[in-house]
Amino acid sequence: MKRSVCSILGLLLLSLLSGCGYNTMQANEEAVMAAWGNVESAYQRRNDLIPNLVEVVKGYAKHEADTLKAVTEARAKVGSMQLSKEVINDPSALTKFQQNQGELSSALSRLMVVAEKYPDLKANQNFLDLQKQLEGTENRINVARERYNKTVQVFNTSIRTFPNSLTNSMLLHLKRKEPFKAEEGAKTAPKLKF
Amino acid sequence: MRVSVMKLVMLVLSLFCLAQDVAALEAPPLKGRINDYAGMLSPAAVRSLEQKLAAFEQETTNQVVLLTVPSLEGDVIESFAIRVAEAWKIGQKDKSNGVLLILAKKERKIRIEVGTGLQGVLPDITAGQIIRNVISPNLRSGDIDKGISAGISAIIDATKGEFKATAADKKAAKKKKSGYGLFLMLLLAGIVITAIAGSSSRTAGVVAGGVSLPVAAGIGLGAVLWKLGILALLGGAAGLLISLLMRLFNAGGGGGGGWGGPTIFYGGGGGGSSSAADSFEGGGGDFDGGGSSDDW
Repeated sequence: MKRSVCSILGLLLLSLLSGCGYNTMQANEEAVMAAWGNVESAYQRRNDLIPNLVEVVKGYAKHEADTLKAVTEARAKVGSMQLSKEVINDPSALTKFQQNQGELSSALSRLMVVAEKYPDLKANQNFLDLQKQLEGTENRINVARERYNKTVQVFNTSIRTFPNSLTNSMLLHLKRKEPFKAEEGAKTAPKLKF
Repeated sequence: MRVSVMKLVMLVLSLFCLAQDVAALEAPPLKGRINDYAGMLSPAAVRSLEQKLAAFEQETTNQVVLLTVPSLEGDVIESFAIRVAEAWKIGQKDKSNGVLLILAKKERKIRIEVGTGLQGVLPDITAGQIIRNVISPNLRSGDIDKGISAGISAIIDATKGEFKATAADKKAAKKKKSGYGLFLMLLLAGIVITAIAGSSSRTAGVVAGGVSLPVAAGIGLGAVLWKLGILALLGGAAGLLISLLMRLFNAGGGGGGGWGGPTIFYGGGGGGSSSAADSFEGGGGDFDGGGSSDDW
C-alpha cells in the first residue's frame, strides 16, 4: 500500500518536473553544448590546415616573411588558449576566443591577398586545393557559429520564461550562455577571391 | 519645413535600403530533383537528369538535387546554399547523404553543398575540382546542358561507392509510394459509399464521410491518432456536403456536375497524392556548410 502511494507520488513529481520545464532546459543546454562542440571542431579544422598552407606559400613567396609570421603567430595564440566547456558560460572568455580567432582570420585573409601577387603560386594545384579547403572551413565555421547562436537563443529564452525561470532558480541554476557577436568589420573583410 | 520633409524621405529611404540589405533570399519550394527556376536547361536534359538521379537514389539512397536561380538578389551563395540545404533536408536522415548543386544565373556562381555523410568521398577539394574542371569550362563556352550533366555525373561518380541501398531501403521506398495509391483508392471508395449513404439520409452521409476519411488516411498513410479526429470532422463535413449534393442530384436529376463538389473538397488530399506518384522529398539529411563554390 505504502509503496504504491510512494510510486504515485513519484510519478506525480516526475510529471510536475517535466511540466515546469526541468527536462526541456536540460535538453536545451545539451543542444548548446553539442553546437559548441561543432564550433570548436570547425575552428580546429582550420588550425590543422594552416601549416600546410604556410608551407606551400613559403615555397613561392619568400619575401612575405612578415605575413607568414603573422599567420603562424596568430595560430599559436589560438592554440594556446585553454578551452573548456566553461567558455560558453563566461562572456569575457568567449570574447577572448572570438578575438583570437578573428586575428587569425584577418592574418589568413592578408596571406591570401598577398598570394595574389604570385602567379606561379596561384597556378599551383596544391595551393588551389588548400585554398578550397580553407574556404570550405571558413564556411563551416560560419554555419557552426550561426547554429550555435540559435541554440543559445533557444536555451536562454527557455531559462528566462515562466515557469522554467522558477525551476531554474530553485533547482538547476543554469547560467545564461553567451552567443557570438557579429564580427567587427565582418561585412568589409576581404573575401578570399582569386 | 521642407528640409525636414527631405530628411524624413531620406530616413525612410535609408531604412528601406537597410531592410533590403538584411533581407535574405528565401529557399524556393522543392519541386523535384531538378529545380530549374532560372530555366537554364533544355526540357530533354531536365527529363534525363531527373531519371538519372532517381535511378541513382534507388541504387545508393544518395539524393543529388539541382537548383538554379535567376539571381541571388544580393545574397551570398554560401549562405543561400546552407539555407536551402536546411529547408530541403536532402539526403537520408541516418546517412546525411545529400548533395546540392546550386547555380545562380545572373551572378554566374556555382556551389556544390555536400551533406556531412558524403564529405569523405566528396571533400571540398573534389567539389572544387568538379566545378573548376568540369562544370565551369562548359558553361563558359555556352553549353549549359553539357556542363550541368557532366557535373552531376562527376558528383555521382564520386559518391557512388559510399552507400548501397539495402533491401529494407527499397521496401521502404515502395511502401511510401504505394501508401498514397492505397489512400487514393480507399478515398474513392469512401466517396462512393458516402454518396450512396448520403442519398438515403443526411445523417447517414455525415457518418459515412466521418468514418471513411480517417479510415482511408489511417490505412493508406498511417496518419497519427490525433489527426484522425480532425479528419473525422472534415470527413463528416464532406459527407454532409455530398449528401446535400446527392439530394440535389436526385431531385433535379441534374448532370454529373454534382460530383464536382466532393472531388474539389477532397482535392487537398487528392492534389497532394497525384504529385506523389513520383514525389520526391528530402529524407532529413544534415549539412554543415562543407562543399565548394566558384564562378563560371
